[in-house]
Amino acid sequence: MLRAEAADGRPAGGRRPSAGWGLLASELGVLFRRRRTWAMLLALAAVPVLIAVAVKLSSSAPAPGKGPPFLDRVTQNGLFVGVTALVVSTPLFLPLTVGVVAGDTVAGEAGLGTLRYLLVAPAGRVRLLAVKYAGAAAFSLAAPAAVAGAGMAIGAALFPVGPVTLLSGDTVGVGEAVQRLWLVALYIAVSLLGLSALGLFMSTLTDVPVGAMATTVVAAVVSQVLDALPQLDWLHPWLLSHYWLDFADLLRQPVSWDSFTANAALQAGYVAVFGALAYGRFTTKDVLA
Amino acid sequence: MNRTWKRWMPAAVVPAVLAAGTAVSAFQANTADLPAKTPAQLIEMIAASKVDTLSGTLEQTSDLGLPELPATGPGANAGAASALELLTGSHTARIYLGGPSKVRLQVMDRLAERDVVRSGNQLWFYTSKDNTASHLTLPAASSRREVPAPAQTGTPAELAQRLLAAADRSTEVSVGPDTQVAGRKAYTLMLTPRAADTLIGQASVAVDAGNGLPLSVSVRARGQQDPAFRLAFESVSFQTPSADLFRFEPPAGATVKQQTVPQAAPSTKASHPAAKGAKAKTSGRGWDAVAELPAGSLPAGFASSGVLSQLSRPVAGGRLLSTSLVNVLLTDDGRVLAGSVAPERLQAAAAGR
Repeated sequence: MLRAEAADGRPAGGRRPSAGWGLLASELGVLFRRRRTWAMLLALAAVPVLIAVAVKLSSSAPAPGKGPPFLDRVTQNGLFVGVTALVVSTPLFLPLTVGVVAGDTVAGEAGLGTLRYLLVAPAGRVRLLAVKYAGAAAFSLAAPAAVAGAGMAIGAALFPVGPVTLLSGDTVGVGEAVQRLWLVALYIAVSLLGLSALGLFMSTLTDVPVGAMATTVVAAVVSQVLDALPQLDWLHPWLLSHYWLDFADLLRQPVSWDSFTANAALQAGYVAVFGALAYGRFTTKDVLA
Repeated sequence: MNRTWKRWMPAAVVPAVLAAGTAVSAFQANTADLPAKTPAQLIEMIAASKVDTLSGTLEQTSDLGLPELPATGPGANAGAASALELLTGSHTARIYLGGPSKVRLQVMDRLAERDVVRSGNQLWFYTSKDNTASHLTLPAASSRREVPAPAQTGTPAELAQRLLAAADRSTEVSVGPDTQVAGRKAYTLMLTPRAADTLIGQASVAVDAGNGLPLSVSVRARGQQDPAFRLAFESVSFQTPSADLFRFEPPAGATVKQQTVPQAAPSTKASHPAAKGAKAKTSGRGWDAVAELPAGSLPAGFASSGVLSQLSRPVAGGRLLSTSLVNVLLTDDGRVLAGSVAPERLQAAAAGR
């Protein structure tokens, strides 16, 4: 929901170079001032809190190798709450919230009848689309950061914090461990960019935001189901979610960047394809609402 | 209308460009042009290869026709499944060599890792899944005489040496087209069994053109186009890895097990009454040899374990475990016959014909 004043008051003819940035600032301002955005970020932050409190209250420490990965380490080191929460929320919670934001981008404006006012402004459809995508991308960054940040905070509050054992069995100091956790959050943010582009395209197809949101979330789930079928292994490297859980490569010693680059390339491909589709759809669409 | 088409253009062009880009890079990856060499020269190159410092990523794929085993869950049999797990599916591992007795192998599982670290005669195994470490001190003699540590049996070099050792007059050795493995130009050495009734169609070894290090080994079953087994470097660099990698200390909170090296002195083993009987008998030579283990050489209960009945099927005279490269016949009287031959040959050998 871009506020009208952001687009207002510009000369109808010439475009100022700053027009896109003003639009972007306004989009981000509106997105992060919305109550729904805050509710989703709070719900995501509740995941690590729930995990930490449950582990703290239970009488017996989780047995090694049981439950979600890293859960057994939580009692020894609070920083693992962040990792466990990221593992738990990557398959569904994060795609769900990103799907809601990305699916709402264009369809939400259309549904409320504000889209045509936005298009009256001289920013142009391409720029509007880019700004909308940037907003969804910013949320993709904020969502895993909320999980990781809340996880580290609650972990530090409830459990001892100390040097962290990596997957390789080597131990790193707290500073480097925190740095690596933020890197994991960044990896997941990159993983969600492709889904955001998919959501943007879905959002240009319809005036009903819920439809676009649901389609995006379903696409994320279907991709993970297909990724689990060994009969389709030729398809796996092309699936949106194929590298989602490979962020563990950042927790090895030395850090393996192969999956990070492979994931970034795959997500860039999805952004290019669905960005082009969204461009084709949005620039040829008759905006009636 | 024209304008509409123009705006949909990127949506058509972008996927086409991406597809073309992937196809071109996949095509380019496999071409190289090197001065011609004879098979004998290549074998000499491998033998003379002295690479003891490297860091690289290994990719292992097996397509033996075995079903994928559930690693967890009610149907899983922990011991047998983890042993057979290496035969199904694919694995990625990183390997670091920092001199003659410094090795680190990291098998990268999803959200977990298995490590083998060897520094001098100190050997560590670490599993991140249950946070356990095992420590082993190799006998002092092994620092002089090279003992094959588990980590070293995993490289293409080791496999290639074994294949070449097995290659004798029963094998036709030839040089295949030049290739590229892990971005390095390589010769291809092809080993084709002359025996008509072996299941192995061809084994090929890619030999680094620069330093003679085998970069990949793949084995193809007869009549199969894709390799049934392949072990290859995905990336490799020959710089000395950081010394920190070979300094392993069990992390705080890990369960540490001290293990002792099983005393494998041959004189004591031969005098052991049980060991005398459990000697493998081999009939035939070369690629179509059949190995036979007498009754009682398998651990008790193995034959009736769930995993085995999942993998094998009943045939005349026992149960057959069939893969595209090897057939194993477990006879009803407890003997085990194995070989890269058709099941009928195993059954005939079991009947004493």
